[in-house]
Amino acid sequence: MSNPLEEVGHKWGMVIDQDLCTGCQACVTACAMENNIAFVGEQDAAYGRSLQWIRVERFWEGEFPEVKSTPFQPVLCQQCGQAPCEPVCPVYASVHSENQQINIQVYNRCVGTRYCANNCPYQARVFNWRDYREPGPLDNALNPDVTVRRRGIMEKCTFCVQRIVQGEDTARAEGRQMADGEVVPACAQACPTEAIVFGRLDDPDSLVSRLKRDGRAVQLLEELGTQPSVTYLKGGSSYGRNG
Amino acid sequence: MTEKLSRRDFLKLTAAGAGATAVLTGCGPASRYVVRSPYAEMPEYTYNGQSTFYATTCRECPAGCGIVVRTHQGRALKIEGNPSHPVNLGKTCSRGQAALQGLYNPDRVEAPQALAAGDRQEIDWDRAIRVVREALIGNRPEEIAFLLGPSPDHLYDLVSEIMRSLGGPAPLCYGTQALFEARATLVQATAQVLNRTALPFCDLGGSDVAFSFGANFLETWLSPLAYGRGFARMRRGQVGRRGFLVQFEPRLSQTGAAADEWIAVAPGTEGLVALALGRLVAEARGGLVPAAYREVDVATAAEASGVPEGTLTRLAGIFANAEHPLAVPGGAALGHVNGLEAARAVLTLNALAGNLGQPGGVFLTPVPNVHPDSRRGPDTLVEINALIGRMRSGQVKALFVHGINPAFELPAALGFTAALENVPQIISFASFPDETALLADYIFPDHTPLESWGYQKVRTGSDRAALSGAQPVVVPFHNTRATVDVLLAAIQAAGGDLAAGVPYSDEVDFLQQSLLTLVQEAGNIAAPEIRTFMTQFQQYGGWWAAEAGLDAPSTPAPLERPLRLIEPEFAGEGEFHLHVYPSPILGDGAGANRPWLQETPDPMTTVMWNTWVEINPETADELGLEDNDVVRVASDFGAIEAPVYRYPAIRRDTIAIPFGQGHTALGRYADGRGANPVALLGLKLTGAGDLAFAATRVRLEKTGRTSILARLESRIGVYGEGLE
Amino acid sequence: MAATAKPIAPATHEEHAESRQHLMLDPRPRGEMNAMVMESMHTTSWKFWGIAFLLGIVVLVCLFLAWGYMISEGLGVAGVNRPAYWGIFLVNTVFWIGISHAGTFVSALLRVFKAEFRRPFTRAAELMTTFGLIQAGLSIFMHMGRVWLSYWLAPYPNARGLWPNFHSPLAWDFLAINTYLLASTMYLFLPLIPDLAMARDRSTGWRKVVYRVLALGFRGTEGEWAHLRTAMNIFAFAILPVMFSVHTIVAWDFAAASRPGWSSTIFGPYFVVGALHSGVAAVAMVLVVVRGTMKNMKYFIRAEHFDAIGKLMLVISMGWAYFFFNDYLVQWYGGDHWTHTLLAWHESGPLAWIWGLMLVCNVAVPWFLLWNRKIRSRPGWMFVIGLLINVGMWCERYVIIPISLTINRMPFTWQSYRPGIEIVLGIGTLAFFILLYMLASRLVPLVPVWEVQEGQMAHSLRKFGRKTVVSVSELE
Repeated sequence: MSNPLEEVGHKWGMVIDQDLCTGCQACVTACAMENNIAFVGEQDAAYGRSLQWIRVERFWEGEFPEVKSTPFQPVLCQQCGQAPCEPVCPVYASVHSENQQINIQVYNRCVGTRYCANNCPYQARVFNWRDYREPGPLDNALNPDVTVRRRGIMEKCTFCVQRIVQGEDTARAEGRQMADGEVVPACAQACPTEAIVFGRLDDPDSLVSRLKRDGRAVQLLEELGTQPSVTYLKGGSSYGRNG
Repeated sequence: MTEKLSRRDFLKLTAAGAGATAVLTGCGPASRYVVRSPYAEMPEYTYNGQSTFYATTCRECPAGCGIVVRTHQGRALKIEGNPSHPVNLGKTCSRGQAALQGLYNPDRVEAPQALAAGDRQEIDWDRAIRVVREALIGNRPEEIAFLLGPSPDHLYDLVSEIMRSLGGPAPLCYGTQALFEARATLVQATAQVLNRTALPFCDLGGSDVAFSFGANFLETWLSPLAYGRGFARMRRGQVGRRGFLVQFEPRLSQTGAAADEWIAVAPGTEGLVALALGRLVAEARGGLVPAAYREVDVATAAEASGVPEGTLTRLAGIFANAEHPLAVPGGAALGHVNGLEAARAVLTLNALAGNLGQPGGVFLTPVPNVHPDSRRGPDTLVEINALIGRMRSGQVKALFVHGINPAFELPAALGFTAALENVPQIISFASFPDETALLADYIFPDHTPLESWGYQKVRTGSDRAALSGAQPVVVPFHNTRATVDVLLAAIQAAGGDLAAGVPYSDEVDFLQQSLLTLVQEAGNIAAPEIRTFMTQFQQYGGWWAAEAGLDAPSTPAPLERPLRLIEPEFAGEGEFHLHVYPSPILGDGAGANRPWLQETPDPMTTVMWNTWVEINPETADELGLEDNDVVRVASDFGAIEAPVYRYPAIRRDTIAIPFGQGHTALGRYADGRGANPVALLGLKLTGAGDLAFAATRVRLEKTGRTSILARLESRIGVYGEGLE
Repeated sequence: MAATAKPIAPATHEEHAESRQHLMLDPRPRGEMNAMVMESMHTTSWKFWGIAFLLGIVVLVCLFLAWGYMISEGLGVAGVNRPAYWGIFLVNTVFWIGISHAGTFVSALLRVFKAEFRRPFTRAAELMTTFGLIQAGLSIFMHMGRVWLSYWLAPYPNARGLWPNFHSPLAWDFLAINTYLLASTMYLFLPLIPDLAMARDRSTGWRKVVYRVLALGFRGTEGEWAHLRTAMNIFAFAILPVMFSVHTIVAWDFAAASRPGWSSTIFGPYFVVGALHSGVAAVAMVLVVVRGTMKNMKYFIRAEHFDAIGKLMLVISMGWAYFFFNDYLVQWYGGDHWTHTLLAWHESGPLAWIWGLMLVCNVAVPWFLLWNRKIRSRPGWMFVIGLLINVGMWCERYVIIPISLTINRMPFTWQSYRPGIEIVLGIGTLAFFILLYMLASRLVPLVPVWEVQEGQMAHSLRKFGRKTVVSVSELE
């Protein structure tokens, strides 16, 4: 128990550069494949019940022909430092992880009151409205590191905690510190333009920490004081601007 | 114990060699011959609870991206990019991610089948091989036709060799993916302007101002991951400046949305705009206007394209003052009768900018030296039409189809399905019961790509010559057999000259023989002989040159020839231009049976699981069309019905429909979903002989019905419905 | 309580006729009243059983079968979605908790303040509390994704080594509702004891057995009465804070959330007044039905009672309007973008008619009609007004829950809510409530005879000069 590495907690964070995001949805599909997210079918998808843990938002500005879509904005669980979803769960299914400084959803504790989802200002949580089972041999591709969720359970982005834990364990077993970029969640791994960057915020020299200090950095709904671990770099600049 | 340790060390070494994520096992090619065996008899390197990673090539589109598949106790779990692969450097797209749902699709063809009168009967492979043998030697060579898809290349190379040996016609290679990329037209334009029959590579990453004329390079065009990387470098990769991207197209694509400016040019006038910009750039730079632009009248171009002259002048100024300006031709801009000229005009703009072979400019990608004799140009619609003509007149006795679904992909106006009736024997190698397979006499299912051997030549997107390698990552899941193996077995059974001319024992043998030419070349693999080479080829996921390097075009002074553009012509009557674009998610429609791709929202409309018709909201108001109203879109060649999506960023004279849905087969997730817009396309051709797919006019009729589109976005929040 | 109220001798014939309109001034012998109540309990017709049977079918199909189907399929068969994670289930929960407030309010509060008009219908109101809470509990369980694990909300030593999260308003809710259910059941039971003893003495067969057990051997000695009075007094005072706290805590479920439109400091009292609004209106409706359908009830429940309840409804309606206006003004004045959007969505969105209906039913109808004493005294009118107020209050909760949930701070996710099986289940709970009430009306005396009697004994007419006034003597 005296191994100092055992006691080290990391603060994981993400930076999303909206100037680089092309809205290609690779993160969405990659996340679904990594995390055993079920598909819900056309009807439920049309009714706001799809289970994607990350969604790419875009709005419109202006009128034709000067119309443009706003920079794509992938929205996932912001892994708040002061998470509104945590205090409201009556059964401690939504809790804070000390080691990773992220917000954990404990599936087998969840009784499905959905209070956390109501209270999430980012609407980053999704609920299993039915048993969305993957039929036939499709379930061969299920990731054994991630629980499948039955009906009545809330779920959300975990920052691919299974990868974080595995990376931490590996580093510990090998008696070394983790390298920056050693662990990436599925979305950041897939992202073709590397708009999504993941790493340790407790390390001031990591890429995320450096990007977070960029002048373009903003956080979603900052005014609520949720202390998100996800930072956005504003996009949408015009010709001639530097930097 | 020592043995175990040494193996571990070996694994560590390979892991260190191949990059951070990819642990690549290789135990000599012989041990990776595909044998179907129960999970209880796992290969010895498969540990309980430990994943094994295999490098292979993604075949969801022909770009040839390298992937690493995580497998766990014989199951493929996750697809990740191959970090050392020169095309995608560890990145993946949605379609690549969902490839697992092809492998484990519940609606695969699980065994060879004979089809008769709607009845599908399982047969054994011996009989299947007899059928193929009979078809190959029982018909005269010119009565045999192979129709292949854009991948895999090793099959194309083998079939070419077989047909050469038989003395029959070379296999045809086609696909709507290539059609919507305007590959054939682009290649021909490149040949005319840059002097080589190849796809150009536009170094987006090195440019600071890029004008894209219809090229949807962040979605499906040529090599989306490579271009995505280039886009990122252009935007943020250069110190002190941010790249500027302008997109010229009638409908705002996802690429256009990521761009800084979108110019809604009239369909068919993209080339005209490129010419006008060229003249303005030349004038802005001062000096003599090159011969190419002397006949260009900017006012006429502005008038025809609907882009104000002021805008053209402003953009030309930006282009002229840029350090590394770049112009990219592609997509619908080339899908007009003047598409070839438009491509030339855009490529010439690069010559004017002086960026040919310069950083941030246009390059040509060297092709790896494998079967250099099998020149695989993208075939054009003219050649497909010729094949259909031969089929119709009964000159084709045996048709082999692999990797393409012509009954779905080809414009209905070509009459492919009707022509099939005059072909006595149709053999499909489809892994899925697609539209064409169900019209065939036999389905001899190939392995899905993740169970397959092979290679793909990288034609564009990488920074060096590269051959992307494929190997099975799992034991074949069903009783399928590699098409190459089936053909080779049939040829061996036939014996004679044919067997002597195609001297391969099986697929792996063919691959090894094909790779022989690469063993001596300087690349990522240093191996003295083919077996070691093959092992490393599998480990790395391919071969690529040691040094980065692309070819600079040798230009025969393109600026000296005057450029002219013919007037755009359109097939059929109607008040709207039809803009059909490949769905960025479903691609050429083969992705429609992957449920997760169906549920991945379209980037621009966020629609899932369906087809829609994009209409400018003002036009829709005039026609009294609301969201979700089902409209009948009719051209002179066909009609489809789909719900309306009031799309704010499309020209008022244009409607857009994504391609990919509308299957009448292909399993439960694709069948009966949406509509197929190729039914509408007329048969105008570009100067290169390919289909001018953007040159059809259509009419709209209300049907009075509504059908709710599944959107991720909120109509209340995004469009303010109910919140006036 | 062996004494009988003495007949009051009025001064004149006219005064006599007028004073007889008041139950308290129209006493009958104890034995006669007992017999009347017993008769009302025993009288059933084929209509009664027919309706009970139909309701039973509805409960079976709409409540139990439908719920079973929903449990096996998942909440997808209901209309909840993102972002309207809460729907009609919670609307019904809040609604039924509101109904349940009437019992306590009418009974305990009016008892504490010695409002005499309460006497004949405290029982009817208390029954509503208990039965309403049962529906509220059912509705909240329906709402849960994994109802079969709902016992995890209870604090008990368990294998998971986990207490409920006492930070969560839902954990407060769980405790508050349970406390309220327990307390209100006891509070229902205590005043019932003398009447159960009365019923025991006047029935035979299985009923006698049941009543004997339930009456706990009550014989009516002075000592027993003294104890009972003390207990009832304690409960009447103790249950009032529970009542206020329950609905306040229900309100905190919303007010404690970080959402536009919800985070309002006034939600607690606003919800309490709203609960009283619907609850008292429901009492009026029940009294109309009881009076119209049960034997001898016209003696106990009179125009004067409707008149009094009508006044109460009017006052509460004004209270509700005050809180509504207060809440609205502050939300609007705050100027928050999302709140403004939410208000616009309420007032001019596709479901604005619900918002309008709420204001009409909750404010306009009572304010315009209940001023009129004639309307207040007519059971038919009172039934309609009570029904409208309940519709209005249901709309209020619908506006607050699913309609407001559409609007959040992420406009990309806004989706309207379209109810599914909730409607069926809602009908099921309503039928269950009515069925329970019907059965109870034939099992327990709906009128607390002893309380009426007590009142009649305490009332007398006294002459002061030319005036005859009612005087009420303190019993204790």
